[in-house]
Amino acid sequence: MKQILKRTDVIFKITLFCLFIFLYFVATSYPEKSKKFPQLVCISTTIIIAVSLIFDFSRKEKIEKEILDVGDTELTKIDEDFKKIRRHRFIKAWAIILISTAIGFLGGFLITTFLLLIGFLFLFGEKGNFLKNITISLLITLIIFFTFQLIFGISLIKGF
Amino acid sequence: MFDYLLQAANIVIHWQNLLALLSGTIIGIIIGVLPGLGPSAGMALTLPLILKWNPTTALIFMGALYKCSNYGGSITAILVNTPGDASNAATILDGYPMCEKGKGGVALGLSATAAMVGGTIGMICLVFSAPILAEFALKFGPAEYFLTAILALTIISAVVQGALLKGLISAGLGLMLSTVGFDVITGHLRFTFGLTAIEDGIPLIQALVGLFAVTQALCLAESAQSISRIGKLAGGFWEGAVTYFKYPYRIIHSAIIGLIVGVLPAVGQSSAGLLAWAEAKRESKHPESFGKGDPEGLIASETSTNACMPGDLVCTIALGIPGSVGAAIFLGIMIIFGVVPGPLVFQEKAQVIYSLFFALILTSFILFLIGMTIARHFALVTLLPNEIIVPIILVVSLLGSFAIRNLMEDVLISLIFGVIGYIMLRGGFTPVPLLLGLVLGEMVEYNYHRAMMISGGSYSIFLSSSISKILIILIILSLFGPHLGIFWKKLRKMKGGKSYV
Repeated sequence: MKQILKRTDVIFKITLFCLFIFLYFVATSYPEKSKKFPQLVCISTTIIIAVSLIFDFSRKEKIEKEILDVGDTELTKIDEDFKKIRRHRFIKAWAIILISTAIGFLGGFLITTFLLLIGFLFLFGEKGNFLKNITISLLITLIIFFTFQLIFGISLIKGF
Repeated sequence: MFDYLLQAANIVIHWQNLLALLSGTIIGIIIGVLPGLGPSAGMALTLPLILKWNPTTALIFMGALYKCSNYGGSITAILVNTPGDASNAATILDGYPMCEKGKGGVALGLSATAAMVGGTIGMICLVFSAPILAEFALKFGPAEYFLTAILALTIISAVVQGALLKGLISAGLGLMLSTVGFDVITGHLRFTFGLTAIEDGIPLIQALVGLFAVTQALCLAESAQSISRIGKLAGGFWEGAVTYFKYPYRIIHSAIIGLIVGVLPAVGQSSAGLLAWAEAKRESKHPESFGKGDPEGLIASETSTNACMPGDLVCTIALGIPGSVGAAIFLGIMIIFGVVPGPLVFQEKAQVIYSLFFALILTSFILFLIGMTIARHFALVTLLPNEIIVPIILVVSLLGSFAIRNLMEDVLISLIFGVIGYIMLRGGFTPVPLLLGLVLGEMVEYNYHRAMMISGGSYSIFLSSSISKILIILIILSLFGPHLGIFWKKLRKMKGGKSYV
């Protein structure tokens, strides 16, 4: 767990480090007053990231030792399994969100919402209960539709 | 003043105004509860309905809606980790962990009581001290505004998760994102890379929806749990109300913070809640429990936010400088109804203004009663199965994001911020300083340029006044204070050791 957190943390910092340097150079083409503040933010944040990374790498050895101490125990195996399940759920959730959003561009609100709900209910809920899932999805879609469209008069995604 | 207040009481208790107040309260709570629809969206949506009303009734309705949608936002912040608006950002810090512990009912009771007490303290103080406070706020120049915003950012970065560098990186990212779009000074387009949807800047509500609602939905989807991890709601509303009054010092202290921050133009309620929370954590004997469902943290943030709103309104009304997005819309609505904000408004439109103040005091009590009776049902949301609550959060929040400008790009912006928020959480960062950076960024940059223009490019302006000097000392203390404390202790230990040897 620590190892993954550490990795995400460092990768995120390195990505931001590169991004801020990139944005600093993008800002050079702007007028003097427009570039001053963003460049100031870029420089100060880049310095903070650099300091943070130095701290991270100086602590790397210590953490590696901690992970080695745990060894190939049952605990690490359970941790790995848990992470694997979480990763799978995360990928599935994103797949449903992206597909539904893409369909939102084409089919509009009702189809998108129904697909999102049915997707989550089938992938994360009771897979066998087909009728229950369809009914719940349809009901929630209609409740949201009536609340937003008819009560509040909010325009919903229409699609093409 | 008392004559004005008596007249205001007579006006407010008229059945039309009472009805407007009640409907504003209920609609406000409903709008606030819907993630993504904060006070600004609520006021914008209901404005066409009240255009033909008389100014006093219309402003009472809007004032109640504005105040109560903040409370509604607290309900979602507590129950589903999704603040309705930036002003509820601090509520999630302890409100949601309380809910995870199954104390959703207690947290909601605390929040309703804080809305009543904080709001009433704020309103009463401001009715009597509005002219003095407005005068104090006028002493702030661009350098002081700049430093106040930086102080808010450093305090939040240092305290909100206990990792100063990560907090500062997050705040830096927020400030950088605030520079996207047209430059406030020159009008030059920056960092848009040809994307028209972000030419007016990164839309705040869409970013907020992404950072909190989408991120929360993703974390929930991953975890396979309902929001209440123990699967039931322990503790009731009245327990929350009783708990609230066990912390009188925290209530007064947080209300004062809220009032001061509220009076400072353009700093806003989000800063008030976060500052009060940070202050409560700093003063606490058990700071490690903050952010993990400590009722004191929730009391601090909620009381301060609710006390801040009246201060925010005084600046909006007396100076014409809004403290938040919602206040900016309220300012526009006042102008639409012929109540032009400015120092003379307290004389020229005294009846309307004092009616609004009186109505807001009354709203605090009505809000408490509604909160203690209806809000119980909102708490049941936390028991919904994961596979139902996750798509509902996503649909409602993304719809709120879409509805503001009717742009599909806004949905994508929210999703992108959702990914950013998720990565940040996985990496041990918190998106709160990012949000504050995004909220305050424009103000920081604008005042930085104004200060530099006044000083002719010299940085000495940031040390020119005694207020600036105090603010700089506070910034340094917020950054290095904890380390100085540790260093001091070590030094004392070493000295003690030597003398022993």
